[in-house]
Amino acid sequence: MMEKVISVENCDLFYGDFQALKDVSLPIYRHKVTALIGPSGCGKSTFLRTLNRMNDLIASCKVKGSIQFNHEETYGNGYDVIELRKKVGMVFQKPNPFPMSIFDNIAFGPRQQGLKDKVKLKEIVEKALKQAALWDEVHDRLNQSALSLSGGQQQRLCIARAIAMEPEVILMDEPTSALDPIATQKIENLIEELKKDYTIVIVTHSMQQAARISDYTAFFYMGELLEFDDTKTLFVSPKLKQTEDYVTGRFG
Amino acid sequence: MRKTRLSDRLLQISTMLSTLVSIVGLGLIFQFVLSRGLSLLSIDLFTSNYYAHNYIAELKPYEEMTYSMPNFDDEDVYVIERYGLALRQGIDLAGNGVVEVEYVHPDSPFNTMISAEVGVDTVDMNANNIIDRISYVDHPTSLSRRGAEVMASELNDPQRVINQVFFADLGGGIRGSLITTMWLIFMTLLMALPMGVLTAVYFNEFAPVNMLTKTMRTFIETLTGVPSIIYGLLGISVFVPLTVALTPAVNTNLIAGSMTLAVIILPIIIRTTEESLRVVPQDHRAASLALGANKTQTTFKVVLPQATQGILTSTFLAIGRIIGESAALIFVLGAIVRDRVSIFEQSTSLAVHIWSMMTDEPANIALSSTIALLILAVVLILNVSIKLSVYLFEKRGKQ
Ligand SMILES: Nc1ncnc2c1ncn2[C@@H]1O[C@H](COP(=O)(O)OP(=O)(O)OP(=O)(O)O)[C@@H](O)[C@H]1O
Ligand SMILES: [Mg+2]
Repeated sequence: MMEKVISVENCDLFYGDFQALKDVSLPIYRHKVTALIGPSGCGKSTFLRTLNRMNDLIASCKVKGSIQFNHEETYGNGYDVIELRKKVGMVFQKPNPFPMSIFDNIAFGPRQQGLKDKVKLKEIVEKALKQAALWDEVHDRLNQSALSLSGGQQQRLCIARAIAMEPEVILMDEPTSALDPIATQKIENLIEELKKDYTIVIVTHSMQQAARISDYTAFFYMGELLEFDDTKTLFVSPKLKQTEDYVTGRFG
Repeated sequence: MRKTRLSDRLLQISTMLSTLVSIVGLGLIFQFVLSRGLSLLSIDLFTSNYYAHNYIAELKPYEEMTYSMPNFDDEDVYVIERYGLALRQGIDLAGNGVVEVEYVHPDSPFNTMISAEVGVDTVDMNANNIIDRISYVDHPTSLSRRGAEVMASELNDPQRVINQVFFADLGGGIRGSLITTMWLIFMTLLMALPMGVLTAVYFNEFAPVNMLTKTMRTFIETLTGVPSIIYGLLGISVFVPLTVALTPAVNTNLIAGSMTLAVIILPIIIRTTEESLRVVPQDHRAASLALGANKTQTTFKVVLPQATQGILTSTFLAIGRIIGESAALIFVLGAIVRDRVSIFEQSTSLAVHIWSMMTDEPANIALSSTIALLILAVVLILNVSIKLSVYLFEKRGKQ
């Protein structure tokens, strides 16, 4: 039996009166890549944001059900959301490096946790950049602004920034949708590598991408999780007609 | 069809005409200030006192000799080889003819004289001093109103022995007002900048969006448009009594002036800072929070640094406002020009200095124009600085 890092049970989510997630139950397995697919507006991003409680920022948002991270209720009373976000990192759709140097971007997270030791910070930055396959490209210009990097490099920087916190899970919301094919390729290779050390949940609109890089795939439709299976099964012999239509591209 | 064309043309012409009129109007102001003010512009103006100071002095024992003097290629300058002195026929700031000291030889008996005033030993004569009159033993006194040429020839007369020299500092300088203005800028920014920035941060990052905060925001926006004389009233009824109660001040004073100005510039700083906070991408806040930073860290480490440029702009705008403010300051700071400035006393800023001189009889248009020129120059520099800082920040961001 595979180990679950995150376990979502019967999750309902409301934006005011609008129900964006309906009774979603989904396991996230350790050191696997889980892809979330589904048509636009079906609740993929919403679901992703419940995993590190970024939905907290939306005042109208209410969550019901059980979401456990390492067997602890993350929406439970007294649960430390900061600790959760340290362990469950996030990479956004558009690369969003801070307007600081490359070094400061990656050192940001550890610094906010109170780490001041220069040598330690340097080690962390180097390790994160190497893991994000960016070290060779930027090691000689760590003090330059992160905004001077290309879009693909910026996205890998954002991955490195998340890695620097040594999370267990990295959530990625369409991380390659703003990138060209070559940069996309690099990120996909990177995800392949990162899987050894991290658990990855990725939202994607590209069926090929989901098929290429993920171990498990969850198909969302209008706020419901219609089908969840290992990727091969889901793509080759889906149980539902809707899933088949969607993965074969016959569907909106 | 034809009719619309005609009205279109008329509209177009009216825009051009309006532009022309405004440009000409603004140009005329500059031209006026330049033509009236430029002649008085000098370093002395910034370093010398406003009030003339009169001296009476006698010469120390000295040896009769002929001094070798530099060559003055100027028909208004008269050289007195006998004393190592050169005089110039000049005009004072009010336009009256005066005898100015052009040059004093280092060995001249005029250089260091014995003061005839009680309690003062020596007094130095310097270039730019004004000689009022010189009295002699058994000879009629030389008077400045008879001109520098006559005075010089009488001084060169070997028959005459000097009894006493009556002379004065030039005066008319703006050093005091300049210092007051700098104090105002410093103290006002000290009070208003942190407060304004933090208020903007509160409104933009922390405050809940509800009726109350919306009303407060509108209120602050409105404050930007309130005429400053009303702030002057606030100052005289609140800040002046407050400073009188808490400090050695007994009257209107510089601290009360700064407090009033702080209230005036607060809305500017809040608004400009808020505008620059608003354009910080929401993604940056999200990224910071997703990295486990808390709200305060996110605000002060990620969001606020990105508003630096806006805060700088608001600072420049505020300085411009401080330098230009006069109405409110007449109430809370006073309109009496001072040479020795104390933050507990009245004095004048440069703008109020103008007001004060224009209400004099006769109005001193020349000096007012010079100060106006200075203020215009500073405002110009501030605006260029804003543009420059925007440019530099953009450039640095991309590096
Ligand atoms: N902040 C919000 N307030 C109210 N409704 C929201 C909010 N965010 C999303 N929604 C709604 O919730 C539903 C799910 O949105 P979500 O962004 O999760 O979809 P998605 O699957 O990520 O779509 P896409 O593929 O276009 O990114 C949509 O109907 C959307 O309109
Ligand atoms: Mg989405």
